[in-house]
Formats: sequence, structure tokens, C-alpha cells
Amino acid sequence: MRINFWYISSFVISLFVIIPIITVFSSFFDNTSNYFQVLKDTFLMEYIFNSLILLVSVLILTFFIGTGSAYLVSFFNFPFSNFFKWALILSFAVPPYIYAYSLTAFFENYGTAYTILKNLFGEGNYNQIIPKFDGLLGVVLSISFSLYAYVYILARASFLYQSQNIIDLGKNLGFTKFKAFYSIILPAARPAIVAGLSLVAMETLAEFGAVDFFSINTLTTGIYNSWIAFDDLAFANQLSFFLLLFIFALFILENLSRKNAKYHFNTKAGFKQKQKIQLSGKKAFLAFSFCFLVFFLSFLFPLSQMMYWTIKFPENLFDLKILDLLMNTLYLVILSSLLLIIFGLISNYGNRVNKNKTLNILSTLSISGYAIPGVILAVAFITFIAWFDDSVIKNLGFVSIKKVFIGSILGLVLVYFIRFYSLAYNGIKSGYEKINISVDESSYLLGYSKRKTFMNIHIPFLRNSLLFVGILVSLEIIRELPITLILRPFNFETFATTAYISASEDLLEAAAVPSLFLILIATFFIIVTSKYILRDNND
Amino acid sequence: MTKNFFEVNNVDFSVGNKTKVKNVSFAIENQGDVICLLGPSGIGKTTILRTIAGLEKLKKGSIILNGKTLSSENINLEPEERNVSLAFQDNSLFPHYTIEKNISLGSQRNKEKKEKKISLKEIVDLLDIFHILNKYPHEISAGEAQRASLARSLIMQPDLLLLDEPLSNVDQSFKEEIQVRLKKILNKLKITTIIVTHDSYEAFYLGSKCGIILNQELKQFDDPYKVYHLPNSIEVVNFLNRGILVPAKVTGKNTLENWDLGTIEGNFIKEYPEGANVQLLLQPEDLEHDDTSNLKLEVVDRKFRGTNFIYTLRAPSNTLIPVFVHSHHIHQHEVDEKFGIKRPIHIDHIVCF
Repeated sequence: MRINFWYISSFVISLFVIIPIITVFSSFFDNTSNYFQVLKDTFLMEYIFNSLILLVSVLILTFFIGTGSAYLVSFFNFPFSNFFKWALILSFAVPPYIYAYSLTAFFENYGTAYTILKNLFGEGNYNQIIPKFDGLLGVVLSISFSLYAYVYILARASFLYQSQNIIDLGKNLGFTKFKAFYSIILPAARPAIVAGLSLVAMETLAEFGAVDFFSINTLTTGIYNSWIAFDDLAFANQLSFFLLLFIFALFILENLSRKNAKYHFNTKAGFKQKQKIQLSGKKAFLAFSFCFLVFFLSFLFPLSQMMYWTIKFPENLFDLKILDLLMNTLYLVILSSLLLIIFGLISNYGNRVNKNKTLNILSTLSISGYAIPGVILAVAFITFIAWFDDSVIKNLGFVSIKKVFIGSILGLVLVYFIRFYSLAYNGIKSGYEKINISVDESSYLLGYSKRKTFMNIHIPFLRNSLLFVGILVSLEIIRELPITLILRPFNFETFATTAYISASEDLLEAAAVPSLFLILIATFFIIVTSKYILRDNND
Repeated sequence: MTKNFFEVNNVDFSVGNKTKVKNVSFAIENQGDVICLLGPSGIGKTTILRTIAGLEKLKKGSIILNGKTLSSENINLEPEERNVSLAFQDNSLFPHYTIEKNISLGSQRNKEKKEKKISLKEIVDLLDIFHILNKYPHEISAGEAQRASLARSLIMQPDLLLLDEPLSNVDQSFKEEIQVRLKKILNKLKITTIIVTHDSYEAFYLGSKCGIILNQELKQFDDPYKVYHLPNSIEVVNFLNRGILVPAKVTGKNTLENWDLGTIEGNFIKEYPEGANVQLLLQPEDLEHDDTSNLKLEVVDRKFRGTNFIYTLRAPSNTLIPVFVHSHHIHQHEVDEKFGIKRPIHIDHIVCF
């Protein structure tokens, strides 16, 4: 095999992304402080139990909300069904921790709910009758309403590509609508729904902001605490290792349960466009109500709560250096997105032109970064830099590099890169899959070199995919909390960190302004990309 | 220095570790010659073209174009370093460019060093693709895409043009016309061309030589006339579906004897000793119908093929023999009727195995 620029580039990029995974696994053999013993005797079981309960509850809730709403908008026409089709993905703009702030702000003693009741019915002891959504229930609701969109998007895409033929087949067999749903439509969409639930599972196990806000001890907060409070990196890594095993076990279980079943048609042949069923009367009202309720609870509720507080406490708007926060956020977003797109492209092309097994395995491993919680990545990155600095740099007599990578923009961007690399890589890959390999070959035969083929043929073709990937990555970075919190330079804040810091100091009103801006920017990005996210044949 | 314009010497053509065609040798003598490679689907014809184009590596043998080695065990010029163009069977147009842009990308190669022998307009007119110039590849039919791809390859004016089933998606009604036009362009541009096809008539019309690839080998490489009338092996006979083999005994310098048909005269293409037992190739046009003949065989089947009928006759030994009869022939024979064969039987080229 000829070693070329593309091979080496892809190899180096993939290797760099794998470093934290290797660090986490190798840490399993390191010595830890007494904290491990303390934790084992006290809270470890609670961490594991809470993580499990949280995971199961969120999966059940997101399955019902995501699949239910996707089914309604894919198979039926009812008032505003076209609006809900894209409005239901706006929940992505509200990260779980901001949802948690809204939930608390609304239902707490003398909160927004109290004010509404007071204005409607006059003074009264309403605090006793207003339910409290805090603790584990609060976390479950916050995460579920923020993340159900993963299930919604993938289930909807799968429903959309179900041929009218299989639905007609159900009718021909005499199935009722309900039976057709659970015995034909739902099983056929299973891989998509499971893929959505897997994303939800990963994000749930990785969730830090909401869990920390409601003071629920999970494995993720355990990792954070063992590092922050006990300065025990090795143990933080060991906990991460267990969390990773947890995530991998989920993947394996799902794969085993599928066995050899096939869920899709390989070709477009035989595909018949679906005809949506027109709902009217009570059924239309019920379908509308369900979708509206989901849209209201997931997006309108936190948005209006944050707007209400921003208006009620305008001084917070002026106390914050909004422009600085905006510039900082955009700076990180642009820098990271550009890096991710450029290197994601190079790595994809390297794999495409080299067709090499080693490279292929390395790339597959490198995209597992998304499964690793941000907290773990940040800790693993610090561990690696510390080890590299102590064992290599100092031994060679060079000046310490810790400051260059830890608590710096460079370090922050690099860890974003590792965390969101799979998003960029897979996004570009799905664009690449639409370019037949004979297009490359035609280009070579027209006299174009590999570089020219890349620049003149591939990049113009992938333009839209790159834009989509860029915005998707930006959206993730805007919402990202733990990595930014751990690795940001001193006095460098973003909307997410400002909101978190205010909330953790019990200044929820002050958290409203950065949260509102975060939601608005994210909403803008979602609206821009919605046509890509919701690609379908009908539009 | 080799005297042939293009040479393939003892090459094993393979994809990955799987050898598709072994130990192939053939040559194109003059620049501008067109040859065709024929063979059933999946036999490795496309692999041969891809290897010549540099898209597949070569492990044994050498490929030489105009005195320059393109591929050998030690040398492998990258596809972009050979001035060889390959028009793929399937649509390989750039999906994000219009057809016009796709074709003009072809003209950018060699634009400095070559005089233009043909303009974009001429190619577009010849291939009748003016109406799709502003369209994108997904907006046109498979046949149109194939013609556009052909136009892109032609306008490059490569040293060697490789066409993989160039007209397989073109409508039957339009195919012959395009074949005529293609032959005209290739003649005009003097582009050395290798065409791969499974359509023997297309190969016989377009190629000055034809190669037959069967069972991992290049079985025959010869003039179309010889391939058709003088096949060199039973496999080639079977592939071209040319008649049947019947047992016969050589009885003289120009005669042989068959149990069912009696004496057959003609010119042997190979010498056989008197008394030798051979398999005689009997092609449908070798026997003539004659109602007055006393050699009568039973009609088993009759196929109407437009210009002619193909009668299948049963001989006394139960051998089934095909015979062409012009469709204007006044007397049509039904199944089970007797069918007369003209005697003496004379075959111009007697092919035996």
C-alpha cells in the first residue's frame, strides 16, 4: 500500500481522537486515593442506582413522547400538523439544565405558578397545592423534554420511508389501525427508534447540569466530584470506565436482540409514497392536543419562563456583558466547527481513497467519542496532558505544556473536537455516501489528482452537507456545559457557563438572561437546519 | 521499442486477490484502431478496462501504450497520469454539475497540447444530447446519461479510449443509429478504442478485431469475420450460439460423411487425415431448404425472426439441427411435417473440432 498524505492525515486525526478512550481504559490499572474506599462504603451504590432509575425513566418517557408525536405527524393530517412537524424539534434549543431552571422557577414556593394563581384568585396559601417537580422527578422531566426530539426525528424519518405497500398489506390482513401500528409500523421503525433511544441514553448518562442542579448523585456527578473535591483523577477515570462499560453494554444488548432481522428495503424499487389520513372532529382535536402539549411543555414553557424573568428583572440584562458572552460563544463555535469540518473532511476522504483495514478500524473507534460524557473527556484530557507533560516533556527538558492545554481556548477547542468529532465525521460520511466511487474514478481519468478531485469535485458536492454539519456542531457547542466549565480559561464565560454559575449560586433570576439568549441562538440554528434535519420526500 | 501502438502482455487481471482473467495477451497495431472485447456478464471484461485505466493494480504482465509502460509488476502509473479515458457502463457523471459542465470538464484535459479535432457542438450534435445540456444527471434517462458520459470521454481526445458497454442503456430503436455515429466519430478523431460489450453484433460492427473472453481466458482475438465463421474452440461456438456440433468422418481432402446428412463438401480450415472422426460445426445457414430434395427431416419447431424462420429439424439419429429459411419463402412448414434439405450439401468453411 502506498502511504500518502491522505492516509497519514486520517491516521493522525483518528489517533488523536482515540487518546481519551485509551486514557480512560489504561487508568483502570492506576492507584487511587482513599476516596474510592470511602465512596464504596457510602455512595457508590446510590450513584449506580440513581443512574439506572434515571436512565430507565427517561427512556420510557422519551419513547412515548418521541414515537407518539412522530407517528401522529407522519401518518395523519390534522390542524397545524405541518407546523408541529418542525416545531417539535425546537426542544433541542433548551438544554436539560435550562429546563431544570424553568421547572424550579415555575413550581417553587412563591414562583411563577404562585404568582399566576395569586393574580387570578387573590392571596392564598397556594404553595401547598402547587406540585414540586424537583429531585429525581425533576431531572427525569428536564432530560426527557429536552431530548425526546432524538427519538422523534429518527422515528419520523423511519415512518416516512415506510412504503404505503406494507400499510396496505396490514389493511389487507384485516388489522385495525392500532394493531397495524404495533405489529407492522412500530417493528419496522425499531432500528431508528432504538438509535434515537441510544442517543438519549448516552446523553442521559452523560448529563451533568440538570443532575447537579437537582443534587442527584449519579455516576457523572461522582466523576466530577472525585476530581474536583478529592483531586483524584485516577478514580474519576475508573468511574468513567464503568460508565463506558454501561454504555457499551447497552449497544451490545440492542445488537444481540436484533439478531438477523432486516428492517428496511435495500432498494427504492417497490416503494410507494404514503397517503396521510385526514383526521377530523374529536380525533383531530386529540392529535392536535397531544402535539401542542408536547410543544408547549418542551419549548414554550421554558422559553416563556426565561422571558418572563428577563422582563421581570431587567437589571440582570444590563449587569451581564451580553456582547462579550456572545462573542465568546461565537468564537468557540466558529473555531471548533471549522476544525471539525476540515479534519472530518480530510479523514473521510483519507478513508475513501485508501480503503485500508487499519485506518477503517481506527476511524470506527474514533467516532465512539460521542458516547463518552463530556465530563469524562475533559478529565481524560487533563490526565493525558499531565502524564505527557510529566513523563515526556519534562524528561526532555522542555518547559511545561500544561498551561498551553489546560485552562486555555486551545485545550477547550481540542476537547470539543474529540467530543463532537463523530457528529462531524458521520455527517460528512453520509454526504459522501451519495457520491458513487465511479465519480472519483471519472475524475482521475479526467486527469484530476486526488487533491484536485477533493477540492474541485467533492467539496462543491458536499457544500450543503458541510453547512448542515457545521450548524449541528455549533448547536451542540452552544449547549455544552461540563467541558466548557472544566476547561475554560479563567474569566472566560459563555451563555451556558454563566447560566450554570448563576443557578448554582441560587440566583435563578440571573440565570434567565443567558439561558434566554442561549435558547434564542439555538432556535435560530435549528430553524436554519430544520429542512435538513427533517428531509423528506413530501417537502 | 514495440511496434504496436498498444500491447497487453501476459497479464493476469484481478480485483483484490481474485483473478478474473488469466494470462491475457493482445495488441492494437495502429493508432486509431478500434477493438472489441466480448464475453458473458461477470467474466471480467470491466476488470480488464479498469486495469488498463489504472483503477486496478496489476500483479503479472505489462500494459504498454505508445511505447510507454502504463502498468507492470513494478510500474503503476496513477489513472490521472495516463492519458486514458474510461466511460463507465453506469452513470458516472458528476451529480452536482450540469451535463454541459460535465462534458466541458473532459475538454480541460490536454487543452494545452492538443489541437481540437472536434468541438463540443459537434459531439453534442452527433450524440444528440443538445436538449439535456442544461439538465443535471438525475434529471435525464439512463441512455442519455450514457451518451453524455461518452461525450465527456470523446472530447478528452485521449490516447486510449475505453468504453464499457457504451450503449447498453440506449433504446434499441436508437442504438443502431448511435453505433453508426460513434463509428464515424472514432474514425474522424483517430482515437484508439477498446469497447467491451456482450452484444456480438455491436462488436462485429464497431471493432476491427474482436476478443472473446470465456472461462478466465482470452479464447480468440481475431477479425470479426473469422471469429464468426471460424471459431477456434467449442467454447466460442457455444458463446456465439452458432449452430451445433455433429459427429462426422473425414472421407477425403474436401469431403466428410455424416450419418444423418450424408456427404458434405467444402473447404476444411484445418487439415485432418482421411478416416479421422471429428465434430463438425453445423451452422443454421449451412443447410439450404429444397422441397424437391429426397433428404427429408422432421420439423420439430419453427421460430419466426422477422427476416427469416429458424426451423429445428429432427434427424434420424435424434440430433436437432437448426436451419435458416428466408421469411419470404412461399412454402411454410408446420411442426411434424417433412422438410427437404438441398443436396449435395456444400459448406464454404468446414470447421471441425
